[in-house]
Amino acid sequence: MSALLDHLPEFWQGLVVTLQMTAASFVGAAAVGLVIVAMRVGPVPVLRTVATVYVETLQNLPLLVLLVLAVFGLPEIGLKAGLTTTAIVVIALYEGAYIAEALRSGVNAISSGQGEAARALGLTFGQSLRHVVLPQALRTVVQPIGNIFIALTMNTSLAAAVGVVELTAAANRVNLLEAQPIPIFVGAGLAYAAVAACAGFVTGRLERRLAVAR
Amino acid sequence: MVSIKRVAAVAAVAMAGLTACAGTDSASSAVPGAAPSEGGGSGVLADAPVAAAADILPGSTMEKIKQRGELIVGGSLDAPLLSQQNPATGEVEGFDADLGKALAKYIIGQPKVKIVNSASETREALLSNGTVDVVFQTYTITPERAEQVSFAGPYYSSGLSIAVKKGTTGISSPQDLNGKTVIAGANTPAIPAIKKLAPQAKIITFGGDPECVQALKQDRGVAYVQDETLLVADAKKDPELQVVSKPFTQDPYGIGLKHGDDQFKSFVNDWLKKIQANGVWQGIWKNSLGTVVQGEAPTPPEIGSVPGS
Repeated sequence: MSALLDHLPEFWQGLVVTLQMTAASFVGAAAVGLVIVAMRVGPVPVLRTVATVYVETLQNLPLLVLLVLAVFGLPEIGLKAGLTTTAIVVIALYEGAYIAEALRSGVNAISSGQGEAARALGLTFGQSLRHVVLPQALRTVVQPIGNIFIALTMNTSLAAAVGVVELTAAANRVNLLEAQPIPIFVGAGLAYAAVAACAGFVTGRLERRLAVAR
Repeated sequence: MVSIKRVAAVAAVAMAGLTACAGTDSASSAVPGAAPSEGGGSGVLADAPVAAAADILPGSTMEKIKQRGELIVGGSLDAPLLSQQNPATGEVEGFDADLGKALAKYIIGQPKVKIVNSASETREALLSNGTVDVVFQTYTITPERAEQVSFAGPYYSSGLSIAVKKGTTGISSPQDLNGKTVIAGANTPAIPAIKKLAPQAKIITFGGDPECVQALKQDRGVAYVQDETLLVADAKKDPELQVVSKPFTQDPYGIGLKHGDDQFKSFVNDWLKKIQANGVWQGIWKNSLGTVVQGEAPTPPEIGSVPGS
């Protein structure tokens, strides 16, 4: 236990980085997901294809591979950003594909009559998406997006492999000194669990509040 | 429907291309895995001693290993010169790996080992729950660790050194690292050592040595702190690298054993004395670390000479 308590500042530092990465990459992933889903349900065939390829490519590659490629590969072609920034961007692009799929399932849950009615009223594609389809779609996918948020939180731990000192890397470093892996990693695990539990609680509340009676 | 098929084909091609690129960076040391190793390739092991039957005490750990016919070693598969799996043969080669084979020969009569890929976060647990018999993994003996495991040895003494990209000036001692970004291997003793000697240095870590070298070359940090032997080997392979300091720490490596198994510990210490006396230890050093370090094999550290051993 003392192995854990003596190093609380290091753990706290790591947790702060984890939370920053989670927040920043979730915002990015949400933006990417919205754009991709708009392309994918839109009327332009080229954009639909591009969005489909994007989703299939990113979903079907392990995040660790993407992180290593971005951190060590991109500088070779002259693209270099900080380690944390690179990791945030990669996680945002990766999770964006998942968010797009969750959103698409929400869009598909809206009956086609809604879209037709919006068109009959003279709304453009963008307007019908913004005012009619997406507000309803988002409500149905609060829970899946909450799950993606939790998965994203856990996935930030992979950034430890590319030099970002977040919670997992911090735990590793403490263990190097103390050689007490069980209390140290259980401690780190509890911190992740606490973040996930908060996310679960918030999504539960949101879902109830936003539910549409059908 | 047609478009789905077409898209799938495009995705499959893209995937094949990407995985081909990614194929080179496998073997994360944190992922447990097992690699079989038969050993017996190197000539030095032919001279390695075999324990007298009387030394294999009934009911002891050695007897259990002998009956199993295989020594289970916790080690790395990605540490050059020390314990690295040769992708062509599947054989694990290096100083730590060959010592493991020699110990297997001493107990069983044949250099039969199975290497379980361990990491610094799993070593203590693997030993205490009996998954591995011994750990050969640049396992620095410290009093904190000695509360969790027993250490035979030290069998080798190494030290940390600093490498920079050729042309970098102003770094010649650990104190010069203050205020700079320093690269170190994750889970290496370099991290606490830098923290102690250059508290204002920012440390970034990567899983393996090749990643660290790559990061140094891409200016992710100005210096790379690592075991001197490894740095010498890296600098030899890569002319962009330069080792700028003499070793500034003393890291005695021990053989990790289950905590409190004094019988096995003294057995392993006896073995170490034997292979150091008959030149097998020196031969193994020559075949591995000696291929990049100039001169004769160093004098091995005295067994039991450091706190925790």
